[in-house]
Amino acid sequence: MNPLSNRRYAFFFMFAFIGVIFVVRIFSLQVLDEGNYKRAVNNALKKITIYPSRGIIYDRHGKLLVYNGPVYDLIVFPGELKGIDTGGLCTLLHMDRREFDKKLEQARIKARTQRRRDNSFNKSATFLPNLPLADYTRIQENLYRYKGFYLEQKTDRLYGNEAAAHLVGYIGEVTEKMLAQDAYYKNGDLAGITGIERGYEKYLRGKKGVRTVLQDRFYTEKGSAEGGRFDSSALAGPDIYCSIDLSLQQFGEQLLQGRIGSIVAIEPSTGEILALINKPDYRPDLLIGPNRNRHFQELITNPGKPLYNRAIRGVYPPGSTFKPVIALIARQEEVLSPATTHGCAGGYHMGSLTVGCHPHFSPTNLAQSLAISCNAYYCQVFRDIIDNPNYGNVRNGWSRLETYLRSFGLGSRLGMDIPGEVSGNIPTLSYLDKRHGNKWRSSTIISLAIGQGEILLTPLQMANVATIIANRGFYYTPHAIHGIGTQMFKPESLRTLHRTMVDTVYFESIIEGMADVMQPGGTAWASAISSIPMCGKTGTSQNPHGEDHSLFIGFAPRINPKIAIAVVVENAGYGATWAAPIATLMMEHYLKGSQAATEAPHLLKKLNVVPETHADSTQQKKP
Amino acid sequence: MPTARNRKNLNPKLDFIAVMLFSVLVLFGFLNIYSASSGTQPVFQLSMKQVYTKQLIWMAGAFLLIVLVAFSNPNFFEFTGYIFYGITVVLCLAVLFVGRKVSGAQSWFGFGGIGIQPSEFAKFGTALALAKFLGTYGVRFKGWKNIGISLAIFLIPMAIVLKQNDTGSALVFLSFFLVLYREGLPGYFLLGAVWLGILAVLTIVLLAYKLSLITWIVIPLTGIALLLLYLFRKSRFWMGIIVGFVLFSWVFTRLVSFTYKTVLYDYQRDRIEIILGLKKDDKGVGFNLIQSKIAIGAGRWTGRGFLEGTQTKMGFVPEQHTDFIFCTIGEEWGFAGVLLFLAVYLGLLFRLVMLAERQTTNFGRVLGYSVTSILFFHLCINIGMTIGLVPIIGIPLPFVSFGGSSLWAFTLLLFTFLKVDERRLSYA
Ligand SMILES: [Zn+2]
Repeated sequence: MNPLSNRRYAFFFMFAFIGVIFVVRIFSLQVLDEGNYKRAVNNALKKITIYPSRGIIYDRHGKLLVYNGPVYDLIVFPGELKGIDTGGLCTLLHMDRREFDKKLEQARIKARTQRRRDNSFNKSATFLPNLPLADYTRIQENLYRYKGFYLEQKTDRLYGNEAAAHLVGYIGEVTEKMLAQDAYYKNGDLAGITGIERGYEKYLRGKKGVRTVLQDRFYTEKGSAEGGRFDSSALAGPDIYCSIDLSLQQFGEQLLQGRIGSIVAIEPSTGEILALINKPDYRPDLLIGPNRNRHFQELITNPGKPLYNRAIRGVYPPGSTFKPVIALIARQEEVLSPATTHGCAGGYHMGSLTVGCHPHFSPTNLAQSLAISCNAYYCQVFRDIIDNPNYGNVRNGWSRLETYLRSFGLGSRLGMDIPGEVSGNIPTLSYLDKRHGNKWRSSTIISLAIGQGEILLTPLQMANVATIIANRGFYYTPHAIHGIGTQMFKPESLRTLHRTMVDTVYFESIIEGMADVMQPGGTAWASAISSIPMCGKTGTSQNPHGEDHSLFIGFAPRINPKIAIAVVVENAGYGATWAAPIATLMMEHYLKGSQAATEAPHLLKKLNVVPETHADSTQQKKP
Repeated sequence: MPTARNRKNLNPKLDFIAVMLFSVLVLFGFLNIYSASSGTQPVFQLSMKQVYTKQLIWMAGAFLLIVLVAFSNPNFFEFTGYIFYGITVVLCLAVLFVGRKVSGAQSWFGFGGIGIQPSEFAKFGTALALAKFLGTYGVRFKGWKNIGISLAIFLIPMAIVLKQNDTGSALVFLSFFLVLYREGLPGYFLLGAVWLGILAVLTIVLLAYKLSLITWIVIPLTGIALLLLYLFRKSRFWMGIIVGFVLFSWVFTRLVSFTYKTVLYDYQRDRIEIILGLKKDDKGVGFNLIQSKIAIGAGRWTGRGFLEGTQTKMGFVPEQHTDFIFCTIGEEWGFAGVLLFLAVYLGLLFRLVMLAERQTTNFGRVLGYSVTSILFFHLCINIGMTIGLVPIIGIPLPFVSFGGSSLWAFTLLLFTFLKVDERRLSYA
């Protein structure tokens, strides 16, 4: 026999060797790795989302602001499409063939992406989102003819009221970024984009349910998979009671109508925002329904910037409303007492430097300086703080002052519970160095004393300053909710008290001066409401781009305050002219209740406002 | 009265075991093709639109071929070996110019709705030609001339098929090295091939991680070589071998790296890198492999049952009735079914080696080993790719995968050998 014949055993060995390798490998795939079976089962499941109803939003007294209505998504499972009557479907959906093909191609791509992400087979994609009820009825009747197309119900927002658009925010289709960050979302979902809708999205959205349907190879549904073991029902999101007082909010929107500006009112004892008003604003119901994207484009390009939440995003020099803060810090630093007097000769003069002041009697003490808003007084107090010999030099002095200011929540975000807040500006040492070179002195930055220059505050921060003074030294992070769900839950962070570096004992002398602002001779005397003891401070914010902004901060009543407020009216001149009457009317409205008539109709008239809510009482007066 | 010889021709005695195993594979293949391709159709219907109806026609054609071969004169194949080889090689060349492109490969002739893939038949032609050459009286697998001709016989069609861009079918021609091994090719050639395989994988891994080939291959290799040179310093012969070995390894590494970087297409590189575990890709190429493994894995011990495999029926697995037919077997018949199936397949291979060894002519033996080696190579690559052991190279599972050309070519191959084997009886 040919000796090469023995090489047959090498062949036998090869066959056996490969056989063993295959068997071991297949054994590990089939028997050891149980996951493959689950993956295969999962692949064959069709998941149909059950959308929960989104939490409803009420005002603090339970008045309806935002609720839900059904809308429908036409979804498509591209894998199931086979020989459907495209022409008929186009007619049903009121679209032409080209648009249909384009949308189908987009849906295919979306479904493929989703399929690869989940590593599963039969994935749907939204074909036409947010169809109203009328379309739903029409399409639903005929849809059985078009295999692969289904209607999914979800909820869109409806508005019980057009008020507080910026605070409540709006919902919209999830962005690519949200899809990437949170696996909860799928294409075409609606989610909060701004305001409370965004800030409390995790609560409001509830929890989606899922119905898993077993399909056989003909895509025919064969009932729930494994007896419904994978199914879950949708869990509605809890309702949210937002912090605003709807009546106050509406009144404020009326007062600010036709102007540009912001009003922020805070309940001092809790930090809850009672009203947050921006003008111009928008009708929230523009941003729902199938036309939301078109309306959004119109709003975003509108030169009046109706989507701009200037209450938390706009920054303004605080002007004279900053003087109480300077005075408080000086008292704590013990460089100022209520009896301290400074003279004023038409302003503050120092070498070639002059900070102008309006004509008034001189000298003034602390309370008088606030009541008439003397610039010279605060230039002197400011210098006493930062040139204090205890700190050695002006740099240390400024650092000290800056630390105080930051304890008032200035120069950084307050951490409000709706997104978009900006920090404003409190100059740091390096900022001042960059601005003025290293050689600056107290006289270089003297305009900071009267709230001009590089100091910038948001209306929210101004209202928070008013809150701190009303509370005599502390604040809670301002927030937009009164409570979540029936338990009125509120996160711990919103119940944490923040104390400033100024002790309570020093506040009364400043409050005295702010009360005098509303007295005869005070800058806001013309706006006073005689039956309510109010405290306030007017301000004028220099605006390099046009007419100055009119500012006012205040609170009422003086003892045990219930409301603190800041008003900014852009390009409106002196604070006393426009901001002060708006603020005092707001405080009166809140304290007396919405039904009571104002005792200062002359202020309404001055503001050119016809009081809608008081229609009843005016009628009664007519004979 | 017919002579004894004639009676044999009217009453063919093809090897019973081989025919039975073949039949089992073809019928089992049909069941799985039916399952994999009947996905969205509820009932069995004899319509030409159905993949499985086509397969029935291919099977009928294969049966005709078997009858034809069974009643033919076995000497016919030996006489026409070169002619048949020539025809298939010319067809392979022709398809380059007038053929149809199917998934990137220029390897099909189209006749109406039917495609013919000459490369499948080229294996048959090559097997005949190699058998005839090595079976010629006085020719043995020795001497540069004979070795050169033997290599040329299968490397020429291989080069043409490679040019058709059908890498998988081209690689199959490498299985003739196994035949040459049986015919006397020294064992160290095969060991050398294994070494080159290791070297190639190592080179690709290093390239993928952007590591230096010098540091990781040349320096260690040179180190070992120097040590060996010291040990074998008394033998000039071994010193020459060692130096040659190192130089050759280095040249080969350079060649692999050049091919890898500039010759291969991106998708080919991807496939290789994924199979070597260098790249994690669940989306593109990797998606197919993952779905294939899930399908097989879903079968567990006893399978999900005939017509019950969702993975293959719902289109997760690509080309589930052709190259990935093994997924259906794994999913629907489970580990038990796979064991039986492999037993049948390997049983056929064992049987064919035994038949080849009992041949009295070199022609018969070389033909037998050619058939065995080609089937074995297909089995390794096809199943290996579905379970993720080798790169995804599209070649069918003989007798089982859907497809006329492959079924006919393999049937022809197998039964020609069985007919030649039957001739042995008449000499006895
Ligand atoms: Zn003055």
